[in-house]
This record gives sequence, structure tokens and C-alpha cells, in this order.
Amino acid sequence: MRILTLLLVLAGLGLAVAGVATILGQASAGAQPWSNELSDNFVFIKAMPFALALGVAVGLLGGSGARRRAATRTDGSVRRFSRTSILLHWLITLGFVLALPTGIWQYLGGILDVTAPVPLYTIYRFHYIGATLILFCLAAFLSYSWMSGDRSLLVPRGQWSSHLRGLMEELPRSIARRLAGLLGIDLREPAPAAGRFTFYEKVVSFPSWSFVLTLITLTGLVKAGRFVVEVPGLVLFISSTLHVTAMVLIILKVLDHLRYTIARWPLMVAITTGWLPARRAADEPIAAERSGSAAALHGSDT
Amino acid sequence: MRQLVAVLALLWALANIVMSFFFITGAFTATTAAKEGLLAQFSLLGGGMLIAAFGLLLAWECSRVLTSRGGSSSS
Repeated sequence: MRILTLLLVLAGLGLAVAGVATILGQASAGAQPWSNELSDNFVFIKAMPFALALGVAVGLLGGSGARRRAATRTDGSVRRFSRTSILLHWLITLGFVLALPTGIWQYLGGILDVTAPVPLYTIYRFHYIGATLILFCLAAFLSYSWMSGDRSLLVPRGQWSSHLRGLMEELPRSIARRLAGLLGIDLREPAPAAGRFTFYEKVVSFPSWSFVLTLITLTGLVKAGRFVVEVPGLVLFISSTLHVTAMVLIILKVLDHLRYTIARWPLMVAITTGWLPARRAADEPIAAERSGSAAALHGSDT
Repeated sequence: MRQLVAVLALLWALANIVMSFFFITGAFTATTAAKEGLLAQFSLLGGGMLIAAFGLLLAWECSRVLTSRGGSSSS
């Protein structure tokens, strides 16, 4: 199975390289009287299927090896991320570093009516490179999750109320009390122990990441797709508006993600090494605002 | 290492706070937003305020790491 997926990845890589070479060859041939910006638009839309297909193949390869890895080490560390997850996390981070500032410039530059010190097509070019990386990673994450069967960031069916109760334990007391009243959660009930991931990650962070990434991808595809298929003006207008909305939401998500993980250093260590260091998790009282998520940093899975 | 990451995150937070200033002032002064109507102006204002709030929260967390003794730990 592993050899089959490896062959699939190699075939995908070969096709992607051939596809990109052909696309760039067409773009540089000068056969079309297009501006740099329009030419880049076509390069991006034509490269998209290759990026998605390669992402699927890489995710399948990573997922096929994920099941065989040990979940704990002798020093008590617990595996939180596989090598594929770490690679994809940093690749999608790079994608955001390229796509987010360039997207903000395109939006704010238009709103504030200011001209960039560099030609606009170069800003779009970096935006497209970042977007291609993000598309590749999303496709890889999805196929990885399917292949490995890893659902640890999802709230299991029928467990939303217990997860909400656990979340209350992780929030500051004043916020938890108000929120529990609104949601009808009984704080006298015992809170469950978190698993590999905190309740905040499972109930708030991951679902909101999924939503904003889906929104930015779908609206971005509509915007990019207008160069190859006719898109009605209203659909394009709505897509553009929602694309900007998703951009603002991603800005907020990145800020919140950094705030959350910097306060819990073992999580930051885990996204570089893959392992939650047990000793550090025990030493540092940063598992959560209160004790509820300590188990998450120790890695006990319930 | 933790302090280096905190410094970088602090810079990111400050850049976002500066950007939120342009969102907020743009809501009142930008002619493009004014032409698009109240909804566009309100979106700029709301978005800017949210970015500023989240940026301040991150900046506060980073300053906490940088000023605490535990922040000097490296791994």
C-alpha cells in the first residue's frame, strides 16, 4: 500500500512538474497579447488542478504511514503531530505569509486609493503563489485525514455537550460563567479530561479554521475561475465581498492562534518536533487558564 | 527561543494594530468606501476594531512572556 501511494506521489509530482513547465512555457511564449497580470491569472488557474492533485497524493502518502507510528515515547512524551502534519502546517503558514499581506494590500490599496511602490502584478503574483501553496496544503490535509483516519481534532458525535463543559473549564471564570448561562451548561457537573487536543482547539479553533479556509478557498476559486468560465456579475460581487470577509477572519484567527500557542509553549514545541514534552507540560502551568486542559498537554487521550 | 518567538509575534501584533488604524480611519475618510455605502464603511470599522482588539490581546500575551521569568526558558 505504501509503495503504491509512493508511486502515486511520484506520478503526481512528475505530472505537476510537466504541467507547470508547460504552463510557464505557454505564458512566456508571447503568443497572447496579455498583460503581466492577466498572464499570471491564467498561470494560476491552470496550475490549480496540478496543485490540488499533488496535494492529494502527498496527503495519501503521509496518511498511509501515520498509523504505524508510536503514540508515546519512553520519556513520557506524547505524539501530537505526524511529520506530514508538521510539514503541511509550516507550508500553509508560508502560504499565509505570502497570500495574506498581499491580499490586504490589494484590498486596502483600493480602499485608500494608494499606489504600491512595486507594480501591482508582482503583488498579485505573490498572492497567487501563496494561494497555490494553501490549496496544495488543504488538499493534502483532507486526503491525509481520510487515509490516516485521524479525527482527533473533531468533536465526536453526541459529545458536544461534554466538550462544551470542558471548554468552560479552560476559559477564564468570568467568561465561562456568562457563557455557561447562555448555553445552558451546568458548571456543577464534573468536566471531562481533554485528549491530545484541548477543548478550545476542538470546539472553537478547529471548526472556525475549517470555516474560514473553506470560505476563502471557495470564493477564491470563483474569483480565479472567471478567467476560464463566465461568472455572473452578482456572483462575482458576492464572492469578492466574502473573500475579503474571510481574509479579515483569517487575520483574526492568526492573531488568536499565536496568542493561544505562545501562552502554551509545549504546543509550540509540538508543532516543530511532533511531540508534547511530558516534563515541560508538567513543569509549566500554561496548559490553560485553569486546570482543565492539563491532561491535554500530558497527552492522555480519553 | 520562547522570547524570540514572543518578539516576532509582538512585531506581528503591532503591524496588525497599525493596519487596523487604516481600516478604522478608512471607514470615515476613504472615498471608495463612502461610494460603496454605509455597509462597506461599517465593515471597515468593525473589522478594524476587531483586528485591533485581537492584536492587543496578542501583544499583551507576548509582553507577559517577555517580562515573566518563565519566558527565559528555552526549548
